[in-house]
Amino acid sequence: MIEIRNLYKRYHNHHGSHWVLEDINLTIPTGVSVGLLGRNGAGKSTLLRLIGGMDTPDRGEIVRACRVSWPIGLAGGFQGSMTGRQNVKFVARIHGAEGDIERIVDEVEAFAEIGEAFDEPVKTYSSGMRSRLVFGLSLAFDFDVYLSDEATAVGDRAFKQKARDAFKARVGKASLIMVSHGEGVLREFCEAGIVLDRGHARWFDDIDAAIAAYHRSTDGRKVTKPVVPKTLSEAKQILQHANREFEKAKLEFESASDDPRRDEPEDTLRWRLEDARQRMHDARRHVQAFHSNKTQKIPEKTSRP
Amino acid sequence: MARDFVLPLDNGGRAPWRVTRSVWFAMFMRETISRTMADRMGWFWMIFEPLAIIAVMVSIRGLFRTGAEVSGADHVPWLIVGLMGFGLFRDNMMRPLGAIEANKGLFAYRQVKPVDPVLVRCFLEGMLRSFLFLLFIAVGSLLKLDLIPDRPLGVMLDWLSLWALGWGAGLTVSVISDLVPELGRVVRILNLPLLLLSGVILPVMYIPHQYQQYLLWNPIVHGLESMRLSFFAGYHTIGGIDMTYLWFWALSLISLGLLLHIRFAAQLKAH
Repeated sequence: MIEIRNLYKRYHNHHGSHWVLEDINLTIPTGVSVGLLGRNGAGKSTLLRLIGGMDTPDRGEIVRACRVSWPIGLAGGFQGSMTGRQNVKFVARIHGAEGDIERIVDEVEAFAEIGEAFDEPVKTYSSGMRSRLVFGLSLAFDFDVYLSDEATAVGDRAFKQKARDAFKARVGKASLIMVSHGEGVLREFCEAGIVLDRGHARWFDDIDAAIAAYHRSTDGRKVTKPVVPKTLSEAKQILQHANREFEKAKLEFESASDDPRRDEPEDTLRWRLEDARQRMHDARRHVQAFHSNKTQKIPEKTSRP
Repeated sequence: MARDFVLPLDNGGRAPWRVTRSVWFAMFMRETISRTMADRMGWFWMIFEPLAIIAVMVSIRGLFRTGAEVSGADHVPWLIVGLMGFGLFRDNMMRPLGAIEANKGLFAYRQVKPVDPVLVRCFLEGMLRSFLFLLFIAVGSLLKLDLIPDRPLGVMLDWLSLWALGWGAGLTVSVISDLVPELGRVVRILNLPLLLLSGVILPVMYIPHQYQQYLLWNPIVHGLESMRLSFFAGYHTIGGIDMTYLWFWALSLISLGLLLHIRFAAQLKAH
């Protein structure tokens, strides 16, 4: 269980600077995976860093009554001039696993699959290689709660799938607190949600309610939970709708081509496009399933690739 | 995956002291490797720098024919002791300058505090310098130089005193230079004047008498002269050498440095 009591945080510590987080009171129960939502700069990553103990609150406190990981993400976590192996050894040692160091290094090496680069300085890594290493490293320890800050944002398809499977294998033993712009990812992994808006946090027992509330407070877009079609015509209808949504998102994304922020992993437009593409693929798969075995039962909800 | 090892809990499971110890050990391994292995010329410069200064000073003195003695001590051993003592202080002050910056990526782990790399680097520098000094003493003695201390215990105490002084300076400047980078540059520039003002190369006895009292404001002078007094039985130096004064500086700087590290821990981690 993680308890957050009367938490206040701001960055420039002179009077008058506004609070990034203001009077946050939350209790995150054991075993419940939570998605953190909020627009860019709403303080999602800040809250995650505070939960991970990387940052200290200005007021209030956070009680961690379980083993909490560090915020797993792209930024930080490695010392650039050390090799991947040396970084892994360092992290194993600070977690008190000196006696188990060989096994941990072997495990991470096997999971990351970066070959020779494991013995090269981390500063030479691509972002995909970094995320492979960071993921493998975090999985080498048995945390009760994993903190993920867009950890799944980069990497190729196969690795993303592998990371997902590895995480799924932990369900029941461990839970997640994750920041992600991908609504599909949030729906897949999280049961509950926290929406951050203007420094305040609201807890939702259901991630879909949280996603809906997030859109109500930001862009007014109505988001419905993806439904599994029961008939072929229904599936076709959904596909048509998904296609339209995808075209719209693509247009929006392309028209923002002169905005350099478009290529950042944080960018909302890009995530919206990814989500729309995902929905379209799902819808198409449903239709295909109906076509291929018309006589059969309703297709199961496909897992997102 | 089968796991025989259970990750310890942070709150209650593992005592703070044990966490700190494992962080220091991990940091020590990391710093040792980067200090001695990564930098290929690292070892070479550690040995060659004092040798070069000695060679230059000996040839200059040979040029001016001022004799092979400095107030009752042989010139070369006198120089070696001074250079080693000053090097110990200087490296303990300078190495922590970049310590926080170089380990920023590792502050993602809540177990690691900005003070850890600084403390570990100071410890490591002290160990390296002590080893180097012993090496010089051994090799020097084989070369028939008078490098066996007359009062070894006194030398060790003075050596530790200079280490403590450098440690305090390192703790303090590591915070200051990270918060105000310009001051880090000033500290680097101070290096050479300090070398000249500490009586490492120019004997303090040669300074005109009316200025000697100002030299005594510098705590390094006290440490170096005291160490030479312990090293060479016949050595005589200026009056007023007082180790209490050096320790006053050392303890003040250590306290100040630790206080700064506590006060600015959050700012040092950020950026």
